[in-house]
Amino acid sequence: MEDWVGGWWDRLIRRAAYRGHPQAAVALADIERQAPVFFRAMGGDPALTVRSTVGAAHGARRRLLERVAGIGERVELGWRDAQSLYLPERIDLYPDAALNRELYFWLMALAARDDAHHGGDWFARNRAATAACLRQMPGLAAVYARLAAALLPLRDLPRRADERAQELAIRAALQQPHQAIALPPCAQPPQPVPLWLHPSPPGGGQAHCARRDGDAAAEDEASQRRDSKARRRYRARDGETDERKNGMLMVFRAESLFTWDEYVRVNRHTDEDDDSDDGAAAEDMQTLTVQRDTRRRASRLKFDLDLPAAAYDDTPLGPGILLPEWDYKRQRLVADHARIQPMLPRDAAPAALPERLLPMARRLRRQFQALAPERTRKQGEASGPDIDLDRLVRFLAERASGAAVAEPPLYQAWPPGGRSLACLLLADISLSTESWLGDAGQVIQVIRDSLLLFAEALTACGDAFGLYGFSSIRREEVRYLLLKDFAERYDDACRGRILALRPGYYTRLGAAIRHSSRILLEQAAQRRVLLILSDGKPNDLDHYEGRYGVEDTRQAVLEARRAGLIPFCVTIDRQAGDYLPHLFGRHGYTVAHDARRLPQVLTRLYAGLTG
Amino acid sequence: MAATDIPFYQPAGDECEVFAHAWRQQLPVLIKGPTGCGKTRFVAHMAAQLGLPLFTVSCHDDLSAADLVGRHLIAGGDTRWCDGPLTQAVRAGGLCYLDEVVEARKDTTVVLHPLTDDRRMLPIERTGEVLQAPPGFMLVVSYNPGYQHVLKTLKPSTRQRFVALSFDFPRPEVECEVVRHEGGVDAELAWRLVRLGGQLRQLGGHDLDEGASTRLLVYAARLMASGMPARRACEVALAEPLSDEPDTLAALRAVIDTQFGS
Repeated sequence: MEDWVGGWWDRLIRRAAYRGHPQAAVALADIERQAPVFFRAMGGDPALTVRSTVGAAHGARRRLLERVAGIGERVELGWRDAQSLYLPERIDLYPDAALNRELYFWLMALAARDDAHHGGDWFARNRAATAACLRQMPGLAAVYARLAAALLPLRDLPRRADERAQELAIRAALQQPHQAIALPPCAQPPQPVPLWLHPSPPGGGQAHCARRDGDAAAEDEASQRRDSKARRRYRARDGETDERKNGMLMVFRAESLFTWDEYVRVNRHTDEDDDSDDGAAAEDMQTLTVQRDTRRRASRLKFDLDLPAAAYDDTPLGPGILLPEWDYKRQRLVADHARIQPMLPRDAAPAALPERLLPMARRLRRQFQALAPERTRKQGEASGPDIDLDRLVRFLAERASGAAVAEPPLYQAWPPGGRSLACLLLADISLSTESWLGDAGQVIQVIRDSLLLFAEALTACGDAFGLYGFSSIRREEVRYLLLKDFAERYDDACRGRILALRPGYYTRLGAAIRHSSRILLEQAAQRRVLLILSDGKPNDLDHYEGRYGVEDTRQAVLEARRAGLIPFCVTIDRQAGDYLPHLFGRHGYTVAHDARRLPQVLTRLYAGLTG
Repeated sequence: MAATDIPFYQPAGDECEVFAHAWRQQLPVLIKGPTGCGKTRFVAHMAAQLGLPLFTVSCHDDLSAADLVGRHLIAGGDTRWCDGPLTQAVRAGGLCYLDEVVEARKDTTVVLHPLTDDRRMLPIERTGEVLQAPPGFMLVVSYNPGYQHVLKTLKPSTRQRFVALSFDFPRPEVECEVVRHEGGVDAELAWRLVRLGGQLRQLGGHDLDEGASTRLLVYAARLMASGMPARRACEVALAEPLSDEPDTLAALRAVIDTQFGS
């Protein structure tokens, strides 16, 4: 009974004290697809991603009712760091949904304008950024005027003199951002200003963390997985290791209740639990202390303990093919250094195109049919069923004019249409494609979708194409998965193979490119395009890492280009700008900034490259 | 020629001087730059400035050598040779401008080779004539290197015969002047359009294939000058031409609202 009354009271008081307008709330998800484009247009760094932030305590005085209800001590504000733009997950500040939506756009414009190097405090910086926005964007100024005017009645005017002066200064700055005003000093932090950026954005815990070089990549991957799983950013704090050997969590029981997110080093084993409970705890914490200790978790170690038993592995086809590899230290090709093992994905049952891809596939088919060359009349043939009248008239006219002209080809023919183009798509399916991309699922999922849709599109336009996937375990086994051969018809068996793709192992890109080049060179087409779909740098368990892998891949690309192929790389790796120009040349690659849009990027690219 | 007859062109740098020097030294010029940044207008301006007749050919993928050089036609039971634009330009000692030259078939550009080195001659196979280009003749070609198109590039043997000028969208002050003059709007409105153009260009290569061109900004200005509401003018001139995707269009409208919202 007590519980029931308590819960009921809690709900009632919370609802009465809550200051937002849930009925007019706008969620970040509603504008998620426009947000990145808008932010970039405002001058925001194109490499940044948009994420939702969590509430942070603001420390300002709350209303009595809020204190009774125990809410209102946190507020979600927007901010930006080197990796991401953080926006509140939902905004329900105003009773009007249109205003809440406009607030999102305002925050993005402000964040794009905010200069981290600008001196001055939070107050001055926000005022300056606001003034800059208003000066340059008169349309946005109208929006801002509406937002600011609607905000003022929602703010409390404190009774204490110093707090009152502070609040008045903020109001003045909101109304007149062009005028330089200083924030009067006050013991109490000011009420949060939802129109401005975060007063003390967390300093990017990851950035300061000095990492061991060796496992940086593995850790990146792990943290990415965590990030994209939750897509939330917690205020991280860099902690120095507490030197006390055995910190006690509970010195005094009552106190510990209030201070439990203080960092205390507890001597306990690094366990490998699921992260689910940690996530809930993190939600409640104000600060996550990120600490390095000397222990490693096994999952970070780079062992390949997961070699499958033969019965469960993909089906190998034949004994394998030996290929050379480039050793940059010796500046020469080492013959027979890598073994390509062609394989068929195991358990691939014929399957139809998944339901969710049908609308997109239909659209692509229509679009690519337009690319298909029709059977067009070809003029000026030496033989053919029709006479080329134009040419005949021209020829007779020239002969009549007295100039001696040899008889040109004077017939028309209807040769089968063909752009004489062959395309091989090589997809990286190494273990890194297992990582998550938020709602879109795993990278491998996006790659599967891209392959499926790409195949639909190419079937529609009639170009010859082959689909292959690859991964590697050292140089002895570069697994080259046949998804669709050039000679094969694209049917449910191929779709089944694509759907059966699973991530695994490493990325020995050079060998895969060399083998793909060989296959592509066997195709009788005038122009042969080698498209590579990748999600990161070349790497493998042995020395195929860093420079060695990059140089070998570069060499393989150069060989392909010398052989007359057109290599081109599509990647979802944001850091690709660091190494891809070296591998493929400045115009030889493209980065899909939003991996979820990879299928669209890939097909549009193909149409653009060849259309 | 009176100054008013010279098409308006706002120089962004020393391109006019470079062009004039190249003309005096009888060197062919290659102009590269994105769509709608003023390449064609520049050539028209320079032709008028130098007092040369201008022969423009827009290249397409079916353009043959005969289309450039000329062909025999039948006129009243008789046959008559008819000069193509290139031959006309050589005979008149004028300026021949091949727009989007990469679109032309690869074999077409080969007829340009003897014209673009020190021989400066044009052999006409069908009439057996060999034309020597007069000092006034100049060949100008242009193309847009922005498209990542593996199948369409200029052959190095052709490229290496030209003095090349790289064009880009003009600096904001210059572009503002262009929009004001060409669009017939006041400076304040022109500034807003130029800033909007700058915002849209940030999206080139990521969300859009190419950013808004100066030409589109001028279109938007002209629609406004003829009385169209500013937002709608921007929508039809600056958002719709750039993308077909509903999400991108919605974002572009939000960007337009930052300049022309109410």
